[in-house]
Amino acid sequence: MSQDKIRNFCIIAHIDHGKSTLADRLLEHTGTVSTREMKNQLLDDLELERERGITIKAKAVTMDYKHRDGQQYELNLIDTPGHVDFHYEVSRSLACCEGALLVVDAFQGIEAQTMANTYAALDQNLQIIPVINKIDLQHHRADEVAEEIVQVLGVEPESILRCSAKTGLGIPELLDAIITRLPPPKGDLSGPPQAMVFDSHYDDYRGVITYVRMTQGEINKGQKIRFLRVGQNHDVLELGHFRPQRVSTNKLSAGQVGYLICNIKSLTEVDTGDTVSIPGDHAAPPLPGYKKPKRMVYCGLYPSDGQEFSELRDSLIKLQINDPSFEFEPESSDALGFGFRCGFLGLLHMEIIQQRLEQEANLDLVQTAPNVTYEILLRSGEVIEIHKPQDVPDQGEIAEFRQPIVRCNFLVPEEYVGTIMKLCQERRGVQAGQEYLGGRMLVTYDLPLAEVIYDLHDKLKSSTRGYGTMDYELIGYQPASLARVDILVNGNRVDALSIICNRDDAERRGRVVAKKLKDEISRHMFEIAVQAAIGGKIVARETVKALRKNVTAKCYGGDISRKKKLWAKQREGKKRMKSVGNVDIPQKAFMAVLDTGDK
Amino acid sequence: MDSRTSNKVKCELSQVLGPGGTRPVWKHDSKSVYVHIPFCAQRCGYCNFALIADRADLVESFLEALARELQWRLGTEHPPRSIETLFLGGGTPTFLSLAQAERLVTLLRKYFVWDAQAPNHEWSVEANPNDLTSEAVAHWSELGVTRFSLGVQSFRAAKLQLLERTHRALDIQRACDLVRQHGRQLSLDLIFAVGDETLAEWESDLRAAIDCCPQHLSTYQLTYEKGTQFWNRLQRGLLNEADQDHALRLYQRTREMLLADGFEHYEVSNFCRPGFRSRHNCVYWSGRPYWAFGPGAAGYIDGCRYVNHSSTTTYIKRMALGESPVVELDNDGDEMRAREYFVFGMRMLEGVDLQVFADETGQNWECLFGDQLRHDLEIGYFCRNNHRIQLTPTGLYISDTLWPNYLSSS
Ligand SMILES: Nc1nc2c(ncn2[C@@H]2O[C@H](COP(=O)(O)OP(=O)(O)OP(=O)(O)O)[C@@H](O)[C@H]2O)c(=O)[nH]1
Ligand code: SF4
Ligand SMILES: [Mg+2]
Repeated sequence: MSQDKIRNFCIIAHIDHGKSTLADRLLEHTGTVSTREMKNQLLDDLELERERGITIKAKAVTMDYKHRDGQQYELNLIDTPGHVDFHYEVSRSLACCEGALLVVDAFQGIEAQTMANTYAALDQNLQIIPVINKIDLQHHRADEVAEEIVQVLGVEPESILRCSAKTGLGIPELLDAIITRLPPPKGDLSGPPQAMVFDSHYDDYRGVITYVRMTQGEINKGQKIRFLRVGQNHDVLELGHFRPQRVSTNKLSAGQVGYLICNIKSLTEVDTGDTVSIPGDHAAPPLPGYKKPKRMVYCGLYPSDGQEFSELRDSLIKLQINDPSFEFEPESSDALGFGFRCGFLGLLHMEIIQQRLEQEANLDLVQTAPNVTYEILLRSGEVIEIHKPQDVPDQGEIAEFRQPIVRCNFLVPEEYVGTIMKLCQERRGVQAGQEYLGGRMLVTYDLPLAEVIYDLHDKLKSSTRGYGTMDYELIGYQPASLARVDILVNGNRVDALSIICNRDDAERRGRVVAKKLKDEISRHMFEIAVQAAIGGKIVARETVKALRKNVTAKCYGGDISRKKKLWAKQREGKKRMKSVGNVDIPQKAFMAVLDTGDK
Repeated sequence: MDSRTSNKVKCELSQVLGPGGTRPVWKHDSKSVYVHIPFCAQRCGYCNFALIADRADLVESFLEALARELQWRLGTEHPPRSIETLFLGGGTPTFLSLAQAERLVTLLRKYFVWDAQAPNHEWSVEANPNDLTSEAVAHWSELGVTRFSLGVQSFRAAKLQLLERTHRALDIQRACDLVRQHGRQLSLDLIFAVGDETLAEWESDLRAAIDCCPQHLSTYQLTYEKGTQFWNRLQRGLLNEADQDHALRLYQRTREMLLADGFEHYEVSNFCRPGFRSRHNCVYWSGRPYWAFGPGAAGYIDGCRYVNHSSTTTYIKRMALGESPVVELDNDGDEMRAREYFVFGMRMLEGVDLQVFADETGQNWECLFGDQLRHDLEIGYFCRNNHRIQLTPTGLYISDTLWPNYLSSS
């Protein structure tokens, strides 16, 4: 395939604007997938993607297309996720393309991720084709949305396409635009081979499958290659394209997108962002690579039954093979025993990993409340990273307590600007800008990540009746007045229940958490004191009264089986609880500390 | 736990460990029969029993289905089995017409006879006070019923109304008189902690019940069961569940009043004049086998627990099609059955004799739950009397919290 017959592009959009559905239509229209094999959001093939109806992992696929000019073209499409947690997948995909289809929902219009993704694409000098999707919707506002796109992105009105990924309307025109408006890839075909590793996944039979975008030269089957950064050599056993299943060929050349299989047994030996070339002095220079995805939240994961520690470790290792974006390291807690501190890209990512562990590995987990990473400058001059509240040293040792700050863009109808400002001020935000954008306001705030991550998105949705959208990126660490609040159960500090929060708010939070825990802990044979303390000073106390009466009145013939089952179940439930002293603390209680007490 | 005491307890308790019986108690022949009569005039708001309200038209087909179940379980060839207790429960058995009652009894007689070896047998029937006309009492007595168990619940008009019961205090007293006149035993069921019932109100119910001179009294705290109207009302905040401390006070008062009056408190919810325990119900708590027939009925035969489908219409349909009525069948193994033997035995306030436990279950209690037992003795939930382990009052009140520990190993 000559280079000028290749088009590489990705599909980007705000979440749910129809990227994956649009990919379906392209696959169908180019005959890459037969009508018989077609299903909705075909590229969302992970079980969790199908279950949740969202894309989590970017997917590449190669399509052959015969254009009306009679020529055969090779189109390489990458479908990307829309959720902010997976934004790094988008940036990686952009680096492999010359163009991007920017999909905008004909009803929703431009939203926060639309802009974030557009800017990311422009940064990489990609040619953008704006596409208004879902024009089959009865109440679509395609004309207004087109207007917004012109104003916000500064494109020519004529360049905007309209389609329905649902009905297939406008797809031929879109394919036409891909061929005529997107530039073909460049890259010296005769130079030493050079390819960008933009993703990888683990296959139980074939080991690591490496996804590459060729930037120079060619790689042939059987050739010896070298991963320049990792510094390892391998033989190429198989290479080819995703259509969308793997189809092998004999070579990949500059401009093409495809996969390599090299008998690599662990994903740790492959580094996304690495450059593939050849061993020896004639290797091509390494490509710039990617910024590593940044873990935004951490939480502890513990097997509810201490015995399952090694099973949990094995499952985490296995999961990480397919999702290197989360990390974990062993930790122990007085209350919870042995477990792992795990870092995630965001709360959705955390939820997904936990769900996969429970579903795929059938593990029952206790999860501690998520927290962000803090930095502490010690009086000794040393700077330490804090991944869990219990690691915060005594106040006396702390010279400066720093927290991560994100720049948050809110895109809202004008009448909600006041609401946003109030939301952000309550969360100690500092306004960084405000701009009128195509009938809406873009409000920018710098906010502590901790204040953003737990519930700001939900709050935004509920206080703007669903119209507001947001997007954020980490901008750095700033000193703040923070304190650690400890929780004591019958006088014993429960390390896994400690939280870090703003000093001014610490007493109130302590009270809220103590109250919440009181409701979560069931009555025992004795009275239980739940206390909150800041630096050794008790700031709140709640009491769980002792159990007085618990005896079933009726227990005749038919009740026996029922009671027996109920009691056996209680026994199981008790096993799942963690006991501190003699107090059984239910799993749910470890999340109780997230309750901020505002309605 | 103080290790010295615990070792002492351990050592002494270990001496009672018998060699273990050869034939566990659940392998004995069943001497007890339960028949579930799934009919009531209407369903009371708190009730989740297997029953169908206001469907007199289904009684005939139910009796046919019952005939099929008896035949299916017991076969036609076998001579009638000798039994010692029969319990007709419900629902409301007295919902049956006298003719239907007679057909039911004729049917049962084909399969069961009273055990000639046993000194006396017990035949209970549950009854709605309103149904116990003088003819009804006479007729059931003539058929051979020895004991009437009345669903009284309360004597107070307001409480009866809340419970959606249609009888009045007068009806109860009249029914009790009739039962006594026929020389039959009398048992009354009462419910406490209904709405915001005060201590004084509950005392008045207890007093009225004692005045009816029953040989037997069962008192139940109102429970809110999923699927009942009361449950829904509780969820919507239209009803309040009694506070634990208050419910405990009512329960304690029940014990005080009835014990002072000469009743024996022999099971969590059951009191009787000495010698008048419900023999049938004791079978349930002592791990012995029993047959059960009818919708939702649960039996225990050859160490197997079975439960029939609880829908009356499905039961009838299944039996008509020659299908099994059973929806649950558990065969847990001797260890589990021994655990049950202990747990349900402990509901009887006389407790469980560990020597008898070993004989009747063939299991070693030390291995099953020795540590737990010592722990609960030490804390004072249990006390021991020679080889007998019994609940203390404190243990009794929270006993449901203890049982999970005995039903599975650590
Ligand atoms: N009516 C209509 N619905 C559409 C159209 N395209 C997509 N949808 C629906 O929009 C929803 C989201 O579609 P997806 O294709 O999963 O969106 P996405 O952008 O891939 O979502 P993420 O990958 O999670 O960001 C689904 O319910 C689709 O059926 C369209 O053209 N018309
Ligand atoms: S009479 Fe008894 S069995 Fe019938 S509905 Fe009322 S409580 Fe239930
Ligand atoms: Mg998608």
